[in-house]
Amino acid sequence: MVGRPLEETELVERAKRGDHRAYGELVHAYQGIAFRTAYLVIRNAAEAEDAAQEGFVKAFRALGRFRTGEPFRPWLLKIVVNEARNRLRSSARRDALALRATAERPSGEAAPSPEAALLDTERRELLLAAVEALPEPMRLVISCRYFLELSEEETASALGLRRGTVKSRTSRALERLRESYA
Amino acid sequence: MPELELELREVGTFLAFPPEPGLVPAVRERLDERPAFGRRRLLLVAFAAVAAAIAVAFAVPPARTAILRFFHIGGETVERVQTLPPAQRRSPVAGLAGPMSLASASRRAGFEPTLPRSHGAIYAADGILATPVANGRAVLTEFRAELGVTKKFVGAATRVEPVTVNGRDGLWLQGAPHVVMYFDSRGLGREKVVRLVGNVLVWSRGSVTLRLEGPLTRDEALRLAETIR
Repeated sequence: MVGRPLEETELVERAKRGDHRAYGELVHAYQGIAFRTAYLVIRNAAEAEDAAQEGFVKAFRALGRFRTGEPFRPWLLKIVVNEARNRLRSSARRDALALRATAERPSGEAAPSPEAALLDTERRELLLAAVEALPEPMRLVISCRYFLELSEEETASALGLRRGTVKSRTSRALERLRESYA
Repeated sequence: MPELELELREVGTFLAFPPEPGLVPAVRERLDERPAFGRRRLLLVAFAAVAAAIAVAFAVPPARTAILRFFHIGGETVERVQTLPPAQRRSPVAGLAGPMSLASASRRAGFEPTLPRSHGAIYAADGILATPVANGRAVLTEFRAELGVTKKFVGAATRVEPVTVNGRDGLWLQGAPHVVMYFDSRGLGREKVVRLVGNVLVWSRGSVTLRLEGPLTRDEALRLAETIR
């Protein structure tokens, strides 16, 4: 495509009128977050990919019900999460969340820079293990809020919860994490 | 923001998510299908394939093995079987990461691909690379044969014809849907099982196997393959 990327609203409008190419641009923009969200629910790369793909196809077919001007991302994520949850029942294998190996500092730069990570590798592993040990509803809220950096509203929409529930569940989960991890 | 929340965000930045899949071609392909008519026709074709397979099953002696015939090109084998294994419909680029630049794709795939002058976005994984060609009507996949074997299972309603591509042996598959399964070098079947609908041309160049998939005619596919050298 030539020129600056079209605004999301414009792309959604075009997609609503049946423009597959415009919808392709929305898919391109949101495939990363859709895939990661599905992966956090379903924990299997192939299943998450299928859920994201199916979510995009279903979202396209449901565009008539989407109110123009509303943010597209949380609406899409809700469909993707539903799809991932439906597949969860039949899915056999689930991966554990893994951390990337710490990026090595370039040689000669032994001292941590001011932007150095807050946690060392061991602490990161502990904190992740503590999140993994949370009950599923808490784990999902924490994953959406902090791992995917979704807002409270987006998390509520994606998980099909009320905003107040996201707020209270987050604070209860944080409390638990403080107990188990601190 | 309190420290614990900052720390959680930091853990998030260190999470090793699997590589982001390129979903655009698969989604576009599914949207471009004519839903009612396409589905019904697909069902009819699948039904025809099943009917033909049943006919074959009754026609052959009971001691006959499930594999009726076997073809081999580069890293790809084609087996004619009585019953197709169960499979889902997926895009040929499903499971690959991207889109990415040609340089990154070559690095990831571990070889320099040969591409036609005009092609779409490039997707890749270890040992394999794919890109839409022919204005998005087909997908060209190139993969290193030594990393694994791709098996195609074809039923009686798929025609398999030996052809010559750029002076090398190739195969042209046309007709009913067939199933593609990828086995890595340890012989393990990858989870991704593909049911393709389009026609396929397979040929090899050195250690790389090339595959052109899409609703092209045999002559269109051969002409396009001539430009990939």
